[in-house]
Amino acid sequence: MVGGGTAGWITAGVLAARFPQRGPDGISVTLIESRTQPPIGVGEGTWPTIRSTLKQIGVTETDFLRECEASFKQGSKFVGWVDGSSTDAYYHPFTLPIDYIERNLAPYWLEGTRATSFADSLCFQTRLCDHSLAPKQITTPEYAGVANYAYHLDAGKFVPFLQKHCVDELGVTHVLDDIQGVEANDAGDISQLLTKSGTPLPGDLFIDCSGFAALLIGRHFDVPFISCKDTLFIDKALAVQVPYETEEAPIASVTLSTAQSAGWIWDIGLNARRGVGYVYSSNHTTEEQAADELRSYLQKNALSYRSININSGYRREFWVGNCVAVGLSAGFLEPLEASAIVMIELSAKSIGELLPGFRGGLPQAARIFNEMFQHRWRRIVEFLKLHYVLSKRTEPFWADNRRAADVVPDYWRQHSPWHEDFSHREEVFSAASFQYVLYGMGFEPEPMPWLLNDTDRARAREKMAEAARHGANLRAALPTNRDLLSRIRKYGLQKI
Amino acid sequence: MTPELTVINSQNHLNLRVSPLPTRESAAMNAVSVIPHEFPRLLAHYPIFFIKSQESGRFEPVALLGFDQGENLFFSNERWDVDYVPLQIMRHPFSLVRRPMAEGVPAALDLAIDMKSAQVRDDGSERLFSEDGKATKFLEERASMMQALVTGSTEAFNFTGRLAELELLESVQVKVEFVDRSEKKLQGLYWIAAAAVEKLTAEQLVDLRNRKYLEWMYFQMASLAHVSGLVARKNRLISGVAR
Repeated sequence: MVGGGTAGWITAGVLAARFPQRGPDGISVTLIESRTQPPIGVGEGTWPTIRSTLKQIGVTETDFLRECEASFKQGSKFVGWVDGSSTDAYYHPFTLPIDYIERNLAPYWLEGTRATSFADSLCFQTRLCDHSLAPKQITTPEYAGVANYAYHLDAGKFVPFLQKHCVDELGVTHVLDDIQGVEANDAGDISQLLTKSGTPLPGDLFIDCSGFAALLIGRHFDVPFISCKDTLFIDKALAVQVPYETEEAPIASVTLSTAQSAGWIWDIGLNARRGVGYVYSSNHTTEEQAADELRSYLQKNALSYRSININSGYRREFWVGNCVAVGLSAGFLEPLEASAIVMIELSAKSIGELLPGFRGGLPQAARIFNEMFQHRWRRIVEFLKLHYVLSKRTEPFWADNRRAADVVPDYWRQHSPWHEDFSHREEVFSAASFQYVLYGMGFEPEPMPWLLNDTDRARAREKMAEAARHGANLRAALPTNRDLLSRIRKYGLQKI
Repeated sequence: MTPELTVINSQNHLNLRVSPLPTRESAAMNAVSVIPHEFPRLLAHYPIFFIKSQESGRFEPVALLGFDQGENLFFSNERWDVDYVPLQIMRHPFSLVRRPMAEGVPAALDLAIDMKSAQVRDDGSERLFSEDGKATKFLEERASMMQALVTGSTEAFNFTGRLAELELLESVQVKVEFVDRSEKKLQGLYWIAAAAVEKLTAEQLVDLRNRKYLEWMYFQMASLAHVSGLVARKNRLISGVAR
């Protein structure tokens, strides 16, 4: 692993845990971290996959929550994305619509009065999110939940937490040094990395987690970067850390995403503070205007923020020879659906599963990996764009978004998203996500009478009532995020 | 009914009389929290399981008394029908309350009585104080019972904490069938997994023995034989056989 940020340590952890044997019959995992390049610490939002990733790496949920200032995330809430009116908000919760595995009940919601929103009708979880409730109880075992969840975390604490576990428990070798050169063999594969200290680092597989620097995939292999800026206009972010007003202030259950004139503001509640930021298009507003909008969102007069450039896009290929790019070196997109960390997890998992036993197997592994991840990046871009093209906002940024759309959702006009539309294994965004966003944003398909029948109509009515009941029961039974997090600090969670 | 807890003192409660016997109110539960110190006595009648505390999620030992919410199969005809009553029930109508925080006053617990308890009654056989204002033997016993519960609760959490750490506990679903063919599934119960105990190292075993935990573990495991006794009690109730 080249690079000691989130990507480097997650990948090191996943691989070292998957292949626990060191020595001549096992594999050795080494991570080289620059002394001079501090990690960026991407994103504070995750996907529910993070729970199985952390469990597999072998850390306890209690330690993770305590040490990474983490809180529970049950989805996203989009405010003002449709028209900016006072009631304009919808959820994209992590829990699937009720009956999702068996039947698509969306057409029955569509044919109804729609007095209750799509997510409220088919998913109990929105009721928990409305009240800042936790997705589990103190008696729920580690990594289990009564509602599907991920975390908001402090990346600045997550990295040292993973590092300690990887080094102390999983036998990952941690080298602090700077890479000064790459030595390749005749076939073009990397044979060793040359370092500032003079000790070369040989290896069989090199994973480029060096962030935007892209030391191996970019500088050495010169793999072209496919920019998405024609599709996704966001290219700047202003980020701030905001303390809670009081110690008892509720910790939100979702990432709040509020549309602005030239982008949107993220608002993430951690255990001890909020992380807030405005991602915007510099073609549509200035930094001063953006800072003004952020100030007005936070109702603050003064603000000290960090300004970050976002270069949306990804590599044409991720795996070349014996080198794989993971994390920012592979690509980066605006954090609208928190895809950064989940892509790291998926990459690490795929590398572990594909890892061939001999050099000759590398081209095949590379081909499979590249096809899979090209598909994934494309699909994420398409899904992010969907949020913009469904908007009816009139500011130039939003109007331009609709004009430039190359993902016009015509397909969905006479079709409701379902499993076969997303045929790859582990699609980042499934039919459920498309349903939540399409119908959450008030997308109006044509009538689809061929999708309806009386048996399922009766079932849909029952299931919607069941979701409402379940939500009401859980609302009474679940603690608030803040209450549960403080209990976990005090007592910890049980493994069983 | 919400208890009305009053801190006990000899002036206000000089002539107060209480009944020492459990009432329907204090007995109405199907599982009661117990402490390791009681295990040898409990072993004669009750199955002991572990449940998770609603407050902390930590495991605590309980004696199972019935199968449905509030069902206590050991209490019938207004009396407890075996000779040992768990401390958590015997303690009634007493409780400990935290002394209000004030400057110069160290944190402490005070013995309080629930004035609304059915055990507080003019014809009660016991008094708290003698005429000269000295605590009676009865009050002293109850006070030490409360003390035992406080110490015992800490001991119990330390014990189960160690069991959890060694991964000796496992979730168990108790499924019973009664004489009328009705079935009952009890959820949220845990017990010591015999297979996990067999895998303990000699060192771990010695450590458990030195802390008395090994003894407590075997008491718990042996107590499970009483599940069938509990089913028999329920069956007698169902068939209307007088006890």
